[in-house]
Amino acid sequence: MSAHNSMNTGKEISVTINGQEFKSTFGKTILEIAREHDIYVPTMCYLTKVQPIGSCRMCVVEVEGVEGMILSCQEKATDGAVITTDSDALFEERQSIMKLYNVNHPLECGVCDKSGECDLQNKTMEFNLEAQDFTARDQNRPVENWGHVSYDPALCIMCEKCVRVSTEITGDEALKIKFGGYGSTIVNTKKEKNYASLGEAAAVCPVGALVSTKFKYTANAWELTKIPSACPHCGGGCQMYYEVKQDRIYRVTNEFEFSTLCGAGRFGFDYANEGVTKDKEAFAKAVEAFNKADTVLLSNQTSNEEALILQKLKEKLGFKLVSPEARAYQKFMQAYGNITGKHLYGGTLKRISESKAVIIFGSRINDDAPAVKYHVNMASKWHQARVAYMHPIEDKEIQNIVTQFIKYEVGSEEGVAALLADTLLKETELPKAVRSFLDDLDIGYLSAETNVGEEELEALRKSLLKKSGFSLVVGSDLYAHPRAEQIAKLAALLEQYAGFNVVCVPPAGNAMGISLVCDLDDEAEGATVGYNMPADFTLSALGGGDLDMPAMNQQEGTLTTVDKRVVPMNAALPYGGYVLNDVANVLGMDAEYTIEYTKILPEEKGFEAIEFDALPDYFDSVGTEHRGYLLKARKVSVSRNFDEVEELEGYDGAVVYRCDPVEQFSAFTAKSSLLEDEAVLLGSQQFATATRLKDGDRITFAIDGVDFDRLFKIDTTMKGTIALNPTFDMGLSGALVSSYRFKRLDFERAGN
Amino acid sequence: MSGIVFSTWRGEFIDNRGKSSDESSQSEFKLPETYHGEKNSKAFIGWDGVAIFDEDIDAVELASKYAAQYQEYSEACGRCAPGRWGGRILYDLLDKIARGEGSHDDIAHLKEISKTMMATSKCEIGKTVPKPILDLMEHYEAQFDTCIELQIPSRHYGGNTDYIAKVTAPCTDMCPAHVDIPAYIEGVRDMVFTDSLAATRQTMPLAHTCGRVCPHPCEDACRRANLDEPISIMELKRLGADYETDHDLEWLHPRTPKPPRNDGKKVAIVGAGPAGLTAAYYLALEGIQVDIFEELPVNGGEVAVGVPEYRMPVDKYNKDIELVLSMPTVSITNNYRVNAERLKELDAEYDATLLGFGARLSKKVRAENENTKMGGYWGAIDMLDKVNLWHKYNIGSPASNELKDKVVVCVGGGFTSMDVVRCSIREGAKKVIMLYRRDEKTIIRNTTYEEYHEAVEEGVEFIFHSAIEEIFDDGENITKLKVNRFELVPDPNGGRAQLVKIEGGDFEIECDYLIPAVSQALDTQLLPEEWNLEMTSWNSILTNGKDFMTSRPGLFAAGDCEYGPMTIVNAVGQARRAASVISRYIYDGKCTLTDDEIMEDHLAKLRVYDKKEKITGWMPGLPRAESEKLGVDERKSNNKEVNLGFTGEEAIAEAERCMRCYYISMVAV
Repeated sequence: MSAHNSMNTGKEISVTINGQEFKSTFGKTILEIAREHDIYVPTMCYLTKVQPIGSCRMCVVEVEGVEGMILSCQEKATDGAVITTDSDALFEERQSIMKLYNVNHPLECGVCDKSGECDLQNKTMEFNLEAQDFTARDQNRPVENWGHVSYDPALCIMCEKCVRVSTEITGDEALKIKFGGYGSTIVNTKKEKNYASLGEAAAVCPVGALVSTKFKYTANAWELTKIPSACPHCGGGCQMYYEVKQDRIYRVTNEFEFSTLCGAGRFGFDYANEGVTKDKEAFAKAVEAFNKADTVLLSNQTSNEEALILQKLKEKLGFKLVSPEARAYQKFMQAYGNITGKHLYGGTLKRISESKAVIIFGSRINDDAPAVKYHVNMASKWHQARVAYMHPIEDKEIQNIVTQFIKYEVGSEEGVAALLADTLLKETELPKAVRSFLDDLDIGYLSAETNVGEEELEALRKSLLKKSGFSLVVGSDLYAHPRAEQIAKLAALLEQYAGFNVVCVPPAGNAMGISLVCDLDDEAEGATVGYNMPADFTLSALGGGDLDMPAMNQQEGTLTTVDKRVVPMNAALPYGGYVLNDVANVLGMDAEYTIEYTKILPEEKGFEAIEFDALPDYFDSVGTEHRGYLLKARKVSVSRNFDEVEELEGYDGAVVYRCDPVEQFSAFTAKSSLLEDEAVLLGSQQFATATRLKDGDRITFAIDGVDFDRLFKIDTTMKGTIALNPTFDMGLSGALVSSYRFKRLDFERAGN
Repeated sequence: MSGIVFSTWRGEFIDNRGKSSDESSQSEFKLPETYHGEKNSKAFIGWDGVAIFDEDIDAVELASKYAAQYQEYSEACGRCAPGRWGGRILYDLLDKIARGEGSHDDIAHLKEISKTMMATSKCEIGKTVPKPILDLMEHYEAQFDTCIELQIPSRHYGGNTDYIAKVTAPCTDMCPAHVDIPAYIEGVRDMVFTDSLAATRQTMPLAHTCGRVCPHPCEDACRRANLDEPISIMELKRLGADYETDHDLEWLHPRTPKPPRNDGKKVAIVGAGPAGLTAAYYLALEGIQVDIFEELPVNGGEVAVGVPEYRMPVDKYNKDIELVLSMPTVSITNNYRVNAERLKELDAEYDATLLGFGARLSKKVRAENENTKMGGYWGAIDMLDKVNLWHKYNIGSPASNELKDKVVVCVGGGFTSMDVVRCSIREGAKKVIMLYRRDEKTIIRNTTYEEYHEAVEEGVEFIFHSAIEEIFDDGENITKLKVNRFELVPDPNGGRAQLVKIEGGDFEIECDYLIPAVSQALDTQLLPEEWNLEMTSWNSILTNGKDFMTSRPGLFAAGDCEYGPMTIVNAVGQARRAASVISRYIYDGKCTLTDDEIMEDHLAKLRVYDKKEKITGWMPGLPRAESEKLGVDERKSNNKEVNLGFTGEEAIAEAERCMRCYYISMVAV
């Protein structure tokens, strides 16, 4: 490889800003260096998490020896540059720009949702503008309702932040700029989709142009109390604030400058278990049920602390502890660790976003884990990443990100994993046992059974050639696969030997935390108690169980995220009933509050002995995340043996795939009124033909003992004979559906 | 000729108002005093000043109309605060004054807004639009004052003056295809790669190709060079094209193709090379029926069979070709050699015919005993045909059959000769020598630094200041060459240095193959003699270089057959213009240019790029990005693409260096 980094990125430089000398590295912009040292430069369009936009021109600075004003957000600092960020001339220039921003901007701040947190309002005051000096001919441009968000062009200052977020971060690519001088505007090119991810575009809007439709005119920003927390829905654990007034959540906001929240996090907040009081009778029954329980079931909607309480109770009372998805993930990660020698995967989201090639395997990523998809999108936009999407079902929603779709047969994941390892480790030095395992693979057979062509694999290999920075994202299709452990080991080879940044995306909720905290059992038996799971005695945060429990936004505790971070959640709403800790205390535990368990989360699993109240929860001025702490990777024993690849089982005929629509994850998101909640069996025309179903037919079928009664709908963008079957609408029983995500469909027509 | 009345163009100051003709000064610039044909211009106004050709000019309306252009121009504007609002205020205030409703406060406001726009606008349009307006406000102050003080409209307000505007940029102007370069770079910067591709395809359908093998004359006119180094314009073009291909998107057209007209009108195109493909595409976008006739079994012309795979992977070129052939009104017939008889038939049958064939006859090196039939004498075009047909299409046999372990001498100095020597290395030649009459600097200028440097790395031996005097053979094959050496002797009178033969400097090279790649000529046999087509002095088909019609009405020519062997981008530019003219010609029988095309030619004459201009408002010293190349050992024995292209990070950094040097120019007629 010829030497190439011609841009000298990373070279040490020294720059002087306002008389102070700083060491830095080449590649950073003047503004970045200024912010690192807490030097204020005013901006209107700058958004840290995207590439410089450069529309507002407020950030101009002076550089010695350079004529004219320099755009600090975009221009990289060069060695020896002497920079002034504040002078009379600069003030005057910035003031002139603010005068322009105020041209024809309506003055009715009193009725604007943004008032009190509006950049235009703040900067107008900062630059002492008391009158609108300039006017231009007014334009008649009505407000547009785009569904989750609404757009008022009259308020828009065309900073382009929303477009950048839609392009670079969430990747829905719905928002575009319509050029045209004074008449230029933002357009939503995909109005029919009503992307909840546009909530993030609204979040970054510095003025009142783009706002949440439902929040509009309901509260003033300054009346709302911000409760910092973490989103419990998908397992991403993204940073969020519940904004509360008089025991009601009005909206969810976030530190949009540095982090991102998907539609579920932003709009799926009103699922609290409200109006609950202390029901002593039910409580006594709960204690009794625990005492008698042979098995306690828990869903993924369980904090680390609650999981630990249940684990301690298990140790005390001897019941079995069952959490099917978390257990499958636990076993997968144990097998994974057999190869890498560590109990956690090595990958991070940030490194996904820095990748030059990403392989996604065994996850419908756009629906399963928006936070992960966003990072893949960043890699695609910032690094022209090659993105291979390996799945039995094509996903048109991510066509703009994916450069190679590799379709494989349902059930053949072990074969696919073996082919992947063989393809990507061709020229890698490997331990003998591993090498001979790969050499012995019958590639022709695997290729035929998986339906992954050798030329497809060659194309994949070629697309990685000469590029470093690879990521592998694996997901929930694999964890409950009958050959999950073998698949885990094969995936782990890529981390261990090929330098892949591997992320094993945990199932939704806090499955990862539970898998680390609890010693889980495989099967339930005997008398059962369910924690947000249907059981003989059910403790339910949805309400309607045998004893009420608080929902995630009504309690303090921590979550473990896909980024292997332990993050704090705070209670946004009050809760009047009993909590799990109360039950545990009666059963012989002793903790005044649930969060007393935070500091005793198991250190051998990477947790740290830190008090809940001591957990940090912020981003610093350059965007470094200080939320809770990162789990430490612990050493585990290594066993690099492989079984032979089993004969691959074929799935002929119609198949259903367990998959919730984007921004739906559980009964709790289902309860949220702002999220769309249509639950149908969604399939292609081909699926309809194979099953002789018509659009609008109603059928019944059962999976994992749960009965479904579904309306069938045809999606003309889909292909093949696999339909999507959601579970989020199934109440607590949804969590029972936890076996391998693909199932042959055996249905009956519902009585017409 | 009206003569110049007043000018501030490019730092020049001329004020001939009230002066007699012998007192008047003349401009040193080629300003468009005549608009087109007999039509004179009243004024020319642009980014660098204003020139007035008519004493009776309405300066207020001129200023206001210029500001209006900025408002109407929808590519660059609206994307920064100073430009978006400033531009509107500029226009509103100027129009208010021109209507007779302005005040002196408005003048003050205009000056304040202008200052802000010039200091901080995002692109050069915003920075430069106020300049000629301020010039007019200063030097035609009386006209402004009259409007304000008497509250009357400007002297010809709402009259019959036409204002014709055009947006350009130095790079766009220099590009023979006039590609909207700042727009496609902005698409990369915005990471909206479909926008980038759409911008390119407005005037350049071969985005994959010209993102790889264009000699990028645009980069010689990049204003960034005035500050540090030119933008890597050419390579940034790849991103849009690759995006469409990588994500398997539907064809992205710069505008919605018009439905097939089915009106019986049809155009014949001879040759499916860059010129033919380009003309076909733009005619097809208009819904016009086009039939292409191609001699070879494969499409793409010289770029397909001449340019090697390692430089221009055929699967990428095929994407560009597919785009054109996917158009519903385009048909192609391969293996169809057009001769004089057939051309006469086409000419009679079609409403217009475009000749787009190449220059595919290798010229001789002019040495003693030069016998093109001698074994080992192999014309560059034939040699490259063989190499490429085999590697790209599996047609014929590998050239390694001939070249493996042989000594190859190539005479040349241009791209074709570089392709010959680098292909010879890849075919396993034992030794490859390039003889060139001039020096290293010139060969780099004629090709690119990368081409030369990579050839050297791969083991090509360059012998400069050399020419073959005599070729020796054994009756069957070439055996050796006698080579003269020259030196460059400076002209004592300051003229061009002369090549002078060094006495006693001759030497001999034993070789198996001599591949002349000095130049190529047209095969003119297909031109019917009785047509007596006018030809250029170098025997290519003559047109006026504007509408590309030959001396025979209805017969057009573009690309190498018109210009002589030249670049892809030149062929594309000519063919697009020809397609535009043809699209009108087939209906009205006239060769006409649009206002946009007339302005394009005016600006080319005036020259947009000013290499002496000082750049302000940008940080100097940010290096030009270089893409990763395959190492020499990884490439010299195969046909893998050498240039791996920019990483996303490099591409964005490079796009951010672009200063968006858009300019508006306007003529009042």
